[in-house]
Parts: sequence; C-alpha cells; structure tokens
Amino acid sequence: MIDRRLAKVRRVLLVMSGKGGVGKSVVSASLSGIMAKSGLRVGLMDADIYGPSSALLFGAHGLPAEGESGLVPPDRGGVKVMSVDLFAAGRPIPLAGSGANEILLELLALTDWGELDCLVVDMPPATGDIMMTLTSLRSGDVGALVVTMTDRLSTTVAHRVLELLKGGDVATIGILGNMVRYSAGKGGKGEQGPRGLASEFGVPLLGNLPFDPDVSRAVDRGEMGMLLKSKFARDLQKALGGYVASLSLRNAGSRP
Amino acid sequence: MYLQYTYSLITMEFSPQRLSEGAGGVSCLHELTLVQGIIDSVAETAAERGGRVQSVKIGVGELAQFDVRLVRKLLQDLKKGTPLEGARVTVETEKSKVRCLGCGRRWDFRELSGPITVDEREMMHFLPELLNSCAKCPACSKSYFEIDEGRSVRIVEVVLDA
Repeated sequence: MIDRRLAKVRRVLLVMSGKGGVGKSVVSASLSGIMAKSGLRVGLMDADIYGPSSALLFGAHGLPAEGESGLVPPDRGGVKVMSVDLFAAGRPIPLAGSGANEILLELLALTDWGELDCLVVDMPPATGDIMMTLTSLRSGDVGALVVTMTDRLSTTVAHRVLELLKGGDVATIGILGNMVRYSAGKGGKGEQGPRGLASEFGVPLLGNLPFDPDVSRAVDRGEMGMLLKSKFARDLQKALGGYVASLSLRNAGSRP
Repeated sequence: MYLQYTYSLITMEFSPQRLSEGAGGVSCLHELTLVQGIIDSVAETAAERGGRVQSVKIGVGELAQFDVRLVRKLLQDLKKGTPLEGARVTVETEKSKVRCLGCGRRWDFRELSGPITVDEREMMHFLPELLNSCAKCPACSKSYFEIDEGRSVRIVEVVLDA
C-alpha cells in the first residue's frame, strides 16, 4: 500500500543527521517552502514521531480531512504537511517498542499525497527502525541530505549515518553544515567538520550555513513566511539550488 | 461524482450516498480507504503468485474502533469485479492485548480506569498506537506499554488455489 501511495512521488528526500538539535526540522520545512515557491509540488512528512515539529512550524493543526483515496494532508503555502501531531495535538507520545515505526507506516499508508515532485522527510534523530524503514523504501528515487553542525559530537554522529548510507540504495545528495559558527575553529571528523565528512565519503558539501538568530524569531512567532525571508533561507536556497533546479527541470517536461 | 458510504448512528445501517446529496451519517471514508487497500493488496498477491483467491480472513483490531459490520459490507460491495469476487471473506474483531513494560500486567482496552474522550477515540481511529498518548496501565498508571494485538485492520490469511 505504501508503494502505491508513493508511486506518484518523483523523489523522496530524507533530511537526516542521526543527532537531534542540528536543525533538521527547520531545514526540512524551509526547503519544502523554497521548493513550493519555485512552483514544485511538494510534501513534508514529519517522521520524527516522538518529537514532531513540522505541523507546528507550518501552523497546521486539526485532524487531516478524509478524502476519497485517503487522508488529505493540509496544504500550507503549497506544502502538504503530514505529522503525527495533527492527531496527537500536543499530547505526549510515549511509545514503546515498534510503536513509532508502526505510526510511521500507518501515516505512509493512509496519506494521499497526490502527485508530488518531491516528498521531503524530516527524519528523527538516531539510527533506529524509522531510519531503516525509510532507507528501505522500494519507491524509485530516494536521496538523503545529511545535516550536521561543525562540532565533534554532531560530526561523529553524522559520520555513523553516512557509514550506514554508504553502498545502500539511498544516494547521499550532499552534506549541509548548519548553525556554523565560523569562529569555532576545527571540527571533528577531519579538520573542518562537514568538509572533512564530505571529503571522506566522497559526497558534495552543499554549504555551511551560518547561525541566524532570525530563524528562532520566525519559529517563535510561527511565521513560515518570515522564516522563508531570512538569511538562513536564502543561504539554504543557494546551497540546495542545484537539487531544486533538477526537480524543476525534470518536472518541466512532464507537466501538461 | 463518487459515492460516499455513510453510517447512520440512529438506524445502525450503511448506505452509499452521493456527496452532493449531503451525508446523512458519519463519514466512513477511512474504512473505505483501508478496505480498498486490502482488496488491492490481495489482488496484487494473487497476481504475483498466479492463483485464484479462495478465501480471505481479515482481522479488525478493536483499538481502531471500526464497526465490523461496516467492514464486511464494504468488502462485500467493493470486491465485485476484483479477484476476490468469488472468494469467501471473513471478518473478525481482534481484541486488544496490551503489555505494560513497567509492571508486566497484561490488559485490554476495556480495562482502562479513566475515560477516553471523543477526540482521543477519533485520534486512535486513525493511529491506534496513540493509545499510549491518552491511557495509562490500570495497574501501575504508567504510559509505558506496548500493544501486542488488536491495533487496526489487517489481512490475517489469504488462501489461493494452486
């Protein structure tokens, strides 16, 4: 059922890091918004079942509507958002065992995304069931964007994720350094953190995005529009411009 | 214009209605989606393995709070014209079995000490695992439990002839 759901999704992009607190959710949400502004059909799947934040970032709430072919994710500024928090509505989600993965599978099976150019997936921290499930999707074109800060704790965990992705079916489209403090000096793996990882694994370093205090201001105000106007979003657009353009190009020939 | 199944809480009957005519009962689109998914999955399995579907057994977990009669009715209607048309289809309720990882007590949905609100029931209708978000173990009052059985709708068995 999940394969059928994703059959009309051209690409899936897993935004991952292995570690929490490096900005995956904000990167995922902002990237989705950037894609939508570029005219792409985009969905955002919040796979962080224990600590969902995508719905909050987009100001989406309430149970998704039931459509003829499944649950219809709410559309926020051209981004179709699906999150367990649309159901849990702020309640704690104390799942044991396989519970989180079961919820992820149910959401994937029930959501009617329609045709999408890209489904961005905000991945949870850790390398558990959810990562294994999503990196084992049988639907065509699945890529991973690995987000990391420059410090040794972040790059060490990102290293583990890259190691897991190596040689698998999911292509790493690149590494994105986030909340980079240029005065911080040397990173962990390799001399410059994200650059060292990129070099070691032979994947592109898409950018090193500096810390931008406007991001937390926009998130606190719940204004996605403000977030998309921030320097962070402009930097992100520059860093992922090639990927977004590849979706647009691929899309240009197929739209009526 | 497609048909929407509605379930009347007053007459306890199901009927297809055109959306434009307005729904006279509770929307059953979620059930419709799941039943259609079951039929598609069974048809796919039959096509892959090249057999004729003799029988299908469906389990309906009580946590998702579907009406078994509704699932039966939908299966009966929607299997027409599919590889399941001539198959014997049975639908049974599966009781919930929950295991507390704190105190070890095994319990089911009906043993909850506190009430479950309408909103919480609706939430669990779609995602039964969210029982953890609104219930506590009746013995130790912790939310640290695992659902072993009785979650949602599942295909228990498909028998194909050779």
